[in-house]
Amino acid sequence: MTRAILVTGAGGVGKTTLSAAIAVRAARSGKRTLALTVDPARRLADALGVGTLGAVPTANAQLELLWGAMLDAEHSWDAVARRHADPEVAERLVSSEFFRVAARHFPASQSYAAAERMADHLESGEWDVVVVDTPPAAGGIEFFTAPAETRDLVGGRLIRWITGGPLPGRRSLFRIAGRPALRMASAVLGSDLLERVAEFLFDLRTTHDSVSRRAAAIERHFRQASTLVVTTADPAPLREAERFFRELPKVASRPELVVFNRSLPDFWTTAPAPADTPPVLAENLRRWSSEATRQAAHRGEFAAHHKTVVATVPWQPESPTSLHALDELFTRAEGLDVLGF
Amino acid sequence: MDSLRLVIVTGKGGVGRSAVAAALALRSVRAGRRTLAISMTESGGLGEHLGVETLGPNPHEIRSGLSALQVERPAALDEYLRLQVGIPKFARLGPLASAFDALASAAPGIREIVTMGKVLYEVRRGDTWDLVVADGPPIGQIGSHLRAPRTVSDLVPTGRIRDQAAWMADILADPARSALVLVTLAEELPALETAEAMIWLQNSKLITTKGVITNRVLEPLGVPVSTGPSKGAVHEAALLHHGLVEEQTKWLKQTPDGPRLPYLFGATGPAEVAERLADLLESL
Repeated sequence: MTRAILVTGAGGVGKTTLSAAIAVRAARSGKRTLALTVDPARRLADALGVGTLGAVPTANAQLELLWGAMLDAEHSWDAVARRHADPEVAERLVSSEFFRVAARHFPASQSYAAAERMADHLESGEWDVVVVDTPPAAGGIEFFTAPAETRDLVGGRLIRWITGGPLPGRRSLFRIAGRPALRMASAVLGSDLLERVAEFLFDLRTTHDSVSRRAAAIERHFRQASTLVVTTADPAPLREAERFFRELPKVASRPELVVFNRSLPDFWTTAPAPADTPPVLAENLRRWSSEATRQAAHRGEFAAHHKTVVATVPWQPESPTSLHALDELFTRAEGLDVLGF
Repeated sequence: MDSLRLVIVTGKGGVGRSAVAAALALRSVRAGRRTLAISMTESGGLGEHLGVETLGPNPHEIRSGLSALQVERPAALDEYLRLQVGIPKFARLGPLASAFDALASAAPGIREIVTMGKVLYEVRRGDTWDLVVADGPPIGQIGSHLRAPRTVSDLVPTGRIRDQAAWMADILADPARSALVLVTLAEELPALETAEAMIWLQNSKLITTKGVITNRVLEPLGVPVSTGPSKGAVHEAALLHHGLVEEQTKWLKQTPDGPRLPYLFGATGPAEVAERLADLLESL
């Protein structure tokens, strides 16, 4: 069975790099590995060999068993429509102005499209390990709630409200004029906006059964996956990490560990500068050791509060841009061995 | 910034957007201006940077001259419909609010205009605030927010919402009243994203970009690492610092000119960070 490793966390904490490092290590340990990434920095993309790629996995030229692919969400959303709707409806959907907007704008839509791609790869039977760098959209937790929200969107909850009852079989039953609330809404919104949105939602509704089944399958994958939360010891990413620990168990598995990126060595907190150290360098250590102390406190608090395993990745000035550097990052990290690679 | 009435702060997630927004608000209060700080996102850190645990949907005075609030969608939507669209008091909002929610999941600009509407409504209450500082959405979402009035005008050919959109766009586009401040870091992804956003913002003419603030900039040590011990914590800390400075220098070259705020070592909490950044911004 394919093992899924979902790497989550706030934007800018090094999620993409860590996922790549895990994928490299998994491939080195003999697993057929696919690294699914969202938006890698150019140099990292080059290292993974996904610089010019789209959704189709491509083999890494330097490391056997390592493959990479992008999760191109905007494009995938078209594929979602074509998969779940009749050809004629699908055509109408993808050319609708609201569909473009929903794809770009409905916060869950990109995440859902990405999650479908992930599920496809997990079910293909071609991989031992799939490492997913989850999309950062609106906090990242949306990747996990996306199936339910998408089901809701296409499931006619909104249409039921607009039409004021059980879903009618035909769109001709839909009459704004018959309902006071809708008349007011229509007056406020001007013109036929509400009607046009309703038309769009009707088309979307036809995908409900198919989307529901797929969403349920994706949610099963989420519950069986190993989830890692990446953070730094800074307030904003820590708030996000807290949220993953609080909310993920409702929709997926509980995170297996929290990875503190940009960690400073514990021994800096107490290491004294030798007597003959130039004052500038002694002062430099003093400042960094105050950072190390602050970081250690945050890690300790987090571990105690969420009763979780903590891993640390040392702070490196330059983010890794080669396979070797990615593997090195995994080696220098502490606590990632629980992944078993 | 004396004539300015609105400053919106944006930047990539994790660059210290809320801290800088809080610092700008503090600086404004210190200069004697009646200031309102608004968090445009519900999960933001503006409150703790201003030293309060939570922010509510209505202006709450934190200290003399400084009030703060957080835009919460249900409250902002009610207010938008009542005060701006002019739904009469006796009308039940429930059904209409639901219609909006339905729309917001598909129609462009609706969600954003409610958030922007709250901010701009506070700006328009001319006699209440001298300056509104908004801790804005992340840089990836700033475009859809700034564009919202225009998007809605295009979508809705007539009606009250369209009339509202017009004055909103006017306030945003007026360089005497509104400005955008970008916060970035001297790192690859924030630097690239900021450069992209700058081009888009310039072409869009939706708002004037007042400046780019680069946060957490490290000062060079001034002495080579080799002048110290050849191993141990002193050596490692010097190597790290040196390496980070080198990496930052690379990205600073690609960052637009603007205030640079130093990395704050040993800050004990968000409120202290904001106060210290406000001191630094005052001296720049």
